[in-house]
Amino acid sequence: MLFNTISFALFLPLVFLLYWFVTNKSIKAQNILLLVSSYFFYACWDWRFLFLLVFSTLLDYFTGLKMEEAKNQTAKKFWFWLSISINLGFLGVFKYYDFFATSFAEALAQVGVNTSPITLNVILPVGISFYTFHGLSYVIDIYYSKIKAEKNFIDYSVFVSFFPLLVAGPIERATHLLPQIQRERVFDYNKAVDGLKQILWGLFKKVIIADQCAIYANLIFNNSDDYSGSTLFLGAVLFTFQIYGDFSGYSDIALGTARLFGIELLQNFSFPYFSRDIAEFWRRWHISLSTWFRDYLYIPLGGSKGGTWMKVRNTFIIFIVSGFWHGANWTFIAWGFLNAVYFLPLLLSNSNRNNLDIVAKGKNFPSLKEFGMMLTTFTLTVIAWIFFRAENITHALHYITEMTTNIFNYEFYSQSYKMLSKIGFQFLYLLFLFILIEWNGREGKYALENFGVKWYKPVRYSFYYGVILLLFLYGGKEQQFIYFQF
Amino acid sequence: MMKKFLKKLFLFALPLMVLSIPLDIMLSNYLKKSNNYNGEMEVMNDIYSGKASCDIAIMGSSRAWVHFNPEIIEKAVNQSVYNFGHDGHNFWLQYMRNLEYNKYNKAPKTIIQSVDVFTIQKRKNLYLYEQFLPYMLWNSNMAKYTSTYEGYDFFDYYIPLVRYCGEKEVLKEAYSYWKGTKNPNDKTRTKGYAGRDKKWNSDLKKATVKKEKYTISIDKPSEELLEKFIIECNKNNIKLILVYTPEYIDGQKFVKDRNKVIDVYKKLSKKYAVPFWDYSSDSISFNKDYFYNANHLNKTGSNLFTTKFAERFKKEITTK
Repeated sequence: MLFNTISFALFLPLVFLLYWFVTNKSIKAQNILLLVSSYFFYACWDWRFLFLLVFSTLLDYFTGLKMEEAKNQTAKKFWFWLSISINLGFLGVFKYYDFFATSFAEALAQVGVNTSPITLNVILPVGISFYTFHGLSYVIDIYYSKIKAEKNFIDYSVFVSFFPLLVAGPIERATHLLPQIQRERVFDYNKAVDGLKQILWGLFKKVIIADQCAIYANLIFNNSDDYSGSTLFLGAVLFTFQIYGDFSGYSDIALGTARLFGIELLQNFSFPYFSRDIAEFWRRWHISLSTWFRDYLYIPLGGSKGGTWMKVRNTFIIFIVSGFWHGANWTFIAWGFLNAVYFLPLLLSNSNRNNLDIVAKGKNFPSLKEFGMMLTTFTLTVIAWIFFRAENITHALHYITEMTTNIFNYEFYSQSYKMLSKIGFQFLYLLFLFILIEWNGREGKYALENFGVKWYKPVRYSFYYGVILLLFLYGGKEQQFIYFQF
Repeated sequence: MMKKFLKKLFLFALPLMVLSIPLDIMLSNYLKKSNNYNGEMEVMNDIYSGKASCDIAIMGSSRAWVHFNPEIIEKAVNQSVYNFGHDGHNFWLQYMRNLEYNKYNKAPKTIIQSVDVFTIQKRKNLYLYEQFLPYMLWNSNMAKYTSTYEGYDFFDYYIPLVRYCGEKEVLKEAYSYWKGTKNPNDKTRTKGYAGRDKKWNSDLKKATVKKEKYTISIDKPSEELLEKFIIECNKNNIKLILVYTPEYIDGQKFVKDRNKVIDVYKKLSKKYAVPFWDYSSDSISFNKDYFYNANHLNKTGSNLFTTKFAERFKKEITTK
């Protein structure tokens, strides 16, 4: 069940009404309802993978308890590594096995040994990377005695499977979400209204921005040989907006939905395309994953405490692993590597924490310098996304080469004007409006948070109806969210 | 607080809910005027307004639509004729059209069912899906038969406006009739028929380049539905004739298992005592000048074929 479907538009109010009117007398009943709804939500994709989700939940729940009950460090370590290895084993089998098998065979072929690797060709269970990371953080936190093991199985299961975050995050932490699941939730009018606004904005990002950009980004990327440099650049820019609209749109809907149930999820995006350097970009893009890797990989590796070499090594590790987390393809690894390269000068000059606040805070416009920095960061990001979107490394390199050759030819530019006309200036206006609203709302949690709150009510409501009308015009046959495949 | 929230939410959603039905009706009514989508809506409009009532109903696919000229048959047998040929669809949706016809029109005395190699082969996608949009809301027959294709889902049939969501081209089409920039009287069909003034094209050549032979896969439910239809016709005293209209000889050779499909029609014809007239070996099928591709006669070919057919029909059916 996708967020941008009628099925979800019916499912959500039903669960909402049951939650606040039928099960509101007891937290236990509310949590059971959330769990059943979440399992139903997940089973709508493929009920067979529900067993995997339940198994993963049971595994981390029991190993968590066993670690806490362990009488000595050896026993604790045993249960810890059992959980880690099974969790990573699942990821390895479902997500990475075929990649490693074929890459190994290709490597052998390079030295003249021809083998035919046995591949599994299994379907990747939706959300496996997300719920596995939920479980991993929980088990690691118990092992390092940061949290106590959860005794209530229902509460723990809701933490892993809560439907708004189940398939594409945010990747929650037990310290943040579990206490909210355990305490009584009181309906908050303002939070619920805020939640609805965030859902509306998430749908706008997904249905209008991402899905429309996807049409032309796919066209250009899939037929890149037919296009000149400026069109290829346009394709990469469109993909840059597509992936942002798609994933941050999903996160907005997830956060808004959770808020309707009185639960606050971790913020996952904070206007990343207004970043002034790549370090700031990574503090604002897929925040729950970046912080996960920071806490469970970067810091245990030594973080930035060691010498320069260690810092560089750890930075490359975290970026490459982060790239690989997205999928079993060299393109994701290259994307991670390129981001590490971007990050390197900031790290070496100790200026990776220069831009902690949002750009032009309290002002309407950025300074010329800030604008230049944002544009540079955005351009670097666009180039990196080419690796993320390309079929393979050769495709990405060819794409970039073609994008940057013959820049002094008329042909280089004329074709992109035709493409812009094909896209339609109506949509380009919408894209521009979207950027303006995002810019205007960049100091909030999401762009629409404070947008129009001081307006005359009918005007504000007209704006909301306008967004709904646009959703009607641009909606239709729902598109998958990109991050579901990860 | 909850009461206030639900009240406000309801008030916000109310105009959307209230407007959705009249908007749906308005959109559908303008879209029905469209002569786009191969003129399929003209036929559907005639069916739903009862204007399609006829003595002889011609059913089938595009090979019925462009092959049978009703005016020639009308002149020959002095009975009213309507061509319900449904472009791009097999018997599954041809049967649905027949069901809809029976709801709003008098039963025909005779049905000429055009059959071919595609009649009992079902496609996956709902070809020209837009043609169903104005008629499908709360229409159980349409829901039953079109939902078996990739195209619409459950909510499209039961919630107003949902099926129009994202259909920008369709909305533009409806808007052009509302604005009056398009004329609903520019019909493309006459009693369902549209003769094609076309010359032989490269469709067959392209197809043979793609693959050596085309293989037919018989869809069992479609075959069973055809049998059910024959039984119903017999039960309701409707004279049914199965007709395999001319097909260019090189096209016939291109289809593997063609005889297997024809055997199905022969078997049904024998089992239920229904005539099966096969024009595959008629002289028309050997003359490229009468076709614009291997499966479709041009206007000259269709007039010649309909004249031949009408003579035989008059002799063998109406005089009996």
